[in-house]
Amino acid sequence: MPQQSLLQLKKPRRPLSRMSRLPLRIALVLPSQVIMLLVVAVPTLIVLWLSLTDWQPTDNIPWFKAEFAWFWNFYDLVFDERFVSAVLRTLFVVAVCVSVELCLAVVLALLFLDEWPWRKIAVSVIILPMMVVPVDAANSFFMLFGDHGPVNELLSLVLHRPIAYAWLADPHWALLPIILAEVWQWTPLMFLLVLTGFLNVPHNQWRAALALGASPARAFFRIVLPLSLPVLLVAVLIRAIETFKIFDVIYILTRGGPGATTESISMFMYNGAFVYFRMGYIAAAALLVLFVVISVCLAIYRPLHRSYE
Amino acid sequence: MQNDPETPYTPGIDRRSFLKSAAAGTAAFAAGVSLLSLARPAKAAGSLADVQTDAAKAAKELAKGRAVTLRILEPSGSLGNIKPVAERWTADTGINVEYIEVPLGEINQKVLLEAVSKAGSFDIALPASFGIPDLAESGILVDLDQLAAKYEPEGYQDSIIYKTANYYKGNFYGYETDGDAYVMFYRQDWINDPEERKRYADKYGKELKVPDTWEELDQQLAFFHRPESGRYGGALFRSQYFIAWEWWVRFHAKGFFPFTDDLAPQINNEAGVKALEELAAASKYLYPGARSNGLFENFEGYGKGDSYANIGWGGTQKYLNGDKSGVKGKLTYGPTPGGIVKGTLVRTPYFNWGWNYVVSSLSKEPEIAYLFTLYAVSPALSTIAVRDPGGYFDPFRDEHYKDPDIIKLYSKEFLDVHEASMRGSIPDLYLKGQGEYFDVLRVNVQAADIGQKTAKQALDDTARDWDRISRRIGRKGQTVQWRFLKGLYPQEARSNLT
Repeated sequence: MPQQSLLQLKKPRRPLSRMSRLPLRIALVLPSQVIMLLVVAVPTLIVLWLSLTDWQPTDNIPWFKAEFAWFWNFYDLVFDERFVSAVLRTLFVVAVCVSVELCLAVVLALLFLDEWPWRKIAVSVIILPMMVVPVDAANSFFMLFGDHGPVNELLSLVLHRPIAYAWLADPHWALLPIILAEVWQWTPLMFLLVLTGFLNVPHNQWRAALALGASPARAFFRIVLPLSLPVLLVAVLIRAIETFKIFDVIYILTRGGPGATTESISMFMYNGAFVYFRMGYIAAAALLVLFVVISVCLAIYRPLHRSYE
Repeated sequence: MQNDPETPYTPGIDRRSFLKSAAAGTAAFAAGVSLLSLARPAKAAGSLADVQTDAAKAAKELAKGRAVTLRILEPSGSLGNIKPVAERWTADTGINVEYIEVPLGEINQKVLLEAVSKAGSFDIALPASFGIPDLAESGILVDLDQLAAKYEPEGYQDSIIYKTANYYKGNFYGYETDGDAYVMFYRQDWINDPEERKRYADKYGKELKVPDTWEELDQQLAFFHRPESGRYGGALFRSQYFIAWEWWVRFHAKGFFPFTDDLAPQINNEAGVKALEELAAASKYLYPGARSNGLFENFEGYGKGDSYANIGWGGTQKYLNGDKSGVKGKLTYGPTPGGIVKGTLVRTPYFNWGWNYVVSSLSKEPEIAYLFTLYAVSPALSTIAVRDPGGYFDPFRDEHYKDPDIIKLYSKEFLDVHEASMRGSIPDLYLKGQGEYFDVLRVNVQAADIGQKTAKQALDDTARDWDRISRRIGRKGQTVQWRFLKGLYPQEARSNLT
């Protein structure tokens, strides 16, 4: 059959649909991006709207008919001593927890760089706290630091006098059990991430440094640490974001008390939204907190980005 | 300040005369509440004696030919009170009852969430009474005026002692089913100890007895506080959820309402500051768990027998009068102490919790649900509910104080004080946003107690935040409700408070 007739047998081309006119790479990701946009954008727009209203479910009106309050919620939040304290306190907890976790993780990871008997079993034991349900972990610390709990019992033994100290009711000490519970549970995650980072450092560089007479400390600070810095920063970023959302430990241990001395930003928002149903006010708080979190993340991300460059 | 310590003390009301005068004093209070009923539709014609039978019959008729199940949202721990009643209801009507149990402190939230989600997951709920204003405003509660007019027989509520929380802005929203007035507990054996009596008389120049005023109580807490020999002054609450309630009574006992008629907070006046300073000073004489213990730990701790005084409700007494208690038979009781106002002893016992049977506006069977509440709160059935030794419900009807099982459970001496306290109780702050007002107060009172703020600073901060809350919620509506609520304070309190 001549070539001409073959061409004639082909079906006439239909006009291209809008979708097929898109470049393939865009057409492939577009459906998922549209879904993501709906999942993210719609709630964000609702939060944005609520933050500009004074809506409470107790008003018995639908949220979309709420009275517009302009920027009063943001204004009130800036002067809300409890909110500002909760943000600062949460940042303090993040700074302490993440620093301690990082230091412990680095020390532990160094111990696990070389092969030694029972190493794998030891790793499994170390990461066990991470597997515990956070509420159970918090409950354990609640009992540990109870008036007649093991911590006081231990102190009584050491000091040779009965100690029944109310750790969780003391404004100066109540944060300590919270920080300890958080560090105990999440150092293993940091340890795994740091260990991965250290193990990915080319061994030949490190060994060469040692062979050329560098001390182990010098080799660590000059070679291992700089090369694993991107992994460490990612680990810090992940834990900082997670710790910023700290809730279960505080809820179980102190419920934000005594007074509001251990109230984190999540506790503040939980109370506002689900105890007092101040949805508009808490929506505004959520947006302000989002701004703070993005700022903190950017501060951590910049050096990470620079190290990649 | 009215409560001038220099003003000569007129022994207006000691504990004994308090018990007598409470009955008379609350006649006016009852009359105040009954004013509400003037504006309500006329009562149904049924007889009070047959109320539970009539309610069951009416429900059976309404459910005829259909399989109806009522779902009750109840705070964990109250099943012991509800179940015996619900089982009789099912036997009488053929209508099943399902229970949805939620944690004690979360039930009001769950009911409010229902207002948002419109899920219609329950027909009846038992929220804490102080949350009724918020729940009523959310639209989740049925205004029961019409149903009560249809089914409630004349005199049905007459023997319910405390009814203030049943109403909001003049409308009827639910039946109080728990007599939660604050009562004081003291070690009778310590008071009667001749050596202690002598030492006390030598030290303070007066007789050791159940205290009439907070000042006297604080003195006794200090007197009995000997931690070196394992004795403590008291087990009064200093944990966050409870601490503000004690301050509330101390403040009222100094002769002031929390707001002026125009809803300006006056909690930060001289009396309020003094009340908070005294509360914080008394904390030195409490047992070690005071700042961390919740309700159950409190009465279990006091039950060990190493503290002189405690504060609590009927549930506290059920435990302390039980076999697990180390102080059974060693206690005496008193109303919450008062204060000297214009030379007269003024007591302001306080109803600060309670559970109310309410009907969900999303219920498909609101009428049957209402009939269940009428049935459950009837004199006969509520007596069965209150008899449960493990549940929360404490006596709240005249009939309960005469029931031999209830007398055995609580003891006659306790019930006398409890009944008098119920009759003379000042109400909780039944305003929209009650939780917010009280949360601010709690946080600041505790901050002062632990020394983070001065009493003045804590109460100034509270007053400022209360103003903000009132402004946000709507000062006009809040003022109307406050004036209404103020009118429901017992006559004796009203005439002595400014």
